[in-house]
Amino acid sequence: MPEASDRARRDRVFLVVVDDSAEREVALKYAALRVKKSGGRVALLRVVEPVEQVEWAGIGAMMAEERREEAEALLSGLAAQVQATTGGLPILIVREGKPVEEVLALLEEDPRISILVLASATGSGGPGPLITALAGKAGGRLRAPMTIVPGSLDDKELDRVT
Amino acid sequence: MEIYLPIAEMSVNAFLLVGIGFGVGWLSGLFGVGGGFLLTPLLILIGVPSHVAVASGANQTMGASVSGLIAQARRDNVDWLMGAVLVVGGALGTVVGVQLFAWLKRLGQVDTAVSLFYVVVLGVVGTLMVMESVRAIFRRRGGRAARRLHQHSWAHGLPLKLRFRKSRLYMSALPPLGIGFGIGLLSAIMGVGGGFMLVPAMIYLLGMPTAVVIGTSLFQVVCVTASVTMLQAIQVGGVDIVLTLLLLVGGVAGAQFGAAMGGRLRGEETRVLLGLLVLAVAGSLLWDLLSVPEQLFSVGPGT
Repeated sequence: MPEASDRARRDRVFLVVVDDSAEREVALKYAALRVKKSGGRVALLRVVEPVEQVEWAGIGAMMAEERREEAEALLSGLAAQVQATTGGLPILIVREGKPVEEVLALLEEDPRISILVLASATGSGGPGPLITALAGKAGGRLRAPMTIVPGSLDDKELDRVT
Repeated sequence: MEIYLPIAEMSVNAFLLVGIGFGVGWLSGLFGVGGGFLLTPLLILIGVPSHVAVASGANQTMGASVSGLIAQARRDNVDWLMGAVLVVGGALGTVVGVQLFAWLKRLGQVDTAVSLFYVVVLGVVGTLMVMESVRAIFRRRGGRAARRLHQHSWAHGLPLKLRFRKSRLYMSALPPLGIGFGIGLLSAIMGVGGGFMLVPAMIYLLGMPTAVVIGTSLFQVVCVTASVTMLQAIQVGGVDIVLTLLLLVGGVAGAQFGAAMGGRLRGEETRVLLGLLVLAVAGSLLWDLLSVPEQLFSVGPGT
């Protein structure tokens, strides 16, 4: 029995959504620290916007390609940072579409993901669009527990709560 | 409901105009294009004089592009410096273009010239579009998009070098000035925004990253079509406010519907449709040019 729970621990995946917000750093650090202290893996998801209608097919394809490359470059930069903390390489996922829809679809498709880690914005504008949607209307379709990390936690506090 | 257009000097059914505005707005929302290249020929086909049709087309394109520009600017996808250089070129182009237009009008050849321009430009663009999309449909899932290499050419030896931070380019201001000029000229004569030529030119000739191309081209289109509308109004007297208002009423409503549908309808099939539409417009203008008119002579005030 303890062996089985150990394996489950090693196999669990923390999903961090990489958007352009300032607080994604906090979510990333939290997930990395959790993995470092109690096992598992980090998965990084970057959702790129689909290309809008353009007149020429070749240009549309080139735009999609450049967006994907940009996303991959960003993720591999962050992957190095995660590896420095956890010692393991994170899973990198790039998807195209609307962030909320893609997060829900990914959780649905990939049973390895056990926790979704989001950090809340600290300003007065609410916790951020993803948390607002997932804690509100879209919350019923969520297929994994969601952890909300306050965006205001500093490194010492993050270390304490993980 | 017939309504008299004071500048175009003709009577048209007001509902027809609202309907045209709606249709063009719908298509431009659907395909993400300005719509000038559809509106101007349609107006010419219902009998609106070319100079009025061109001014109205430019005006409509500007209206359709402003909201797109605002959206792109909010996402910080506009290279303002590159846009400004293109606009300077474009402004010069519109001035020359409108002079040319006024000269053609004095000669009495403006209707033929505008139609000819349309037949040639739309014929070429439509053919390329259909060919490209058909090829893309057959090759779907295979192969990656054509890559371009960062290349140094004679263009890098030109003077007046500027650093375009947003586009990550350090190049002479002359090529974008020239491209802007060409599009401005085209815009003044055809009443189009020119996005479908500007965007490929920016990517393949200037080497701009695709992320900033759409926003920057919209910036140029808004400025140039505004300039065309103003210059046409002042120099040729071609802006008909009644016509414009009626088109706008339909256009605003149509664009909303089109944009809502365009989100679901995507990909190569849409582009084939757009290409065929462009070809159909070119074809009907060509027919109009070649067919024998019902009235062989027209009587009008001497100019």
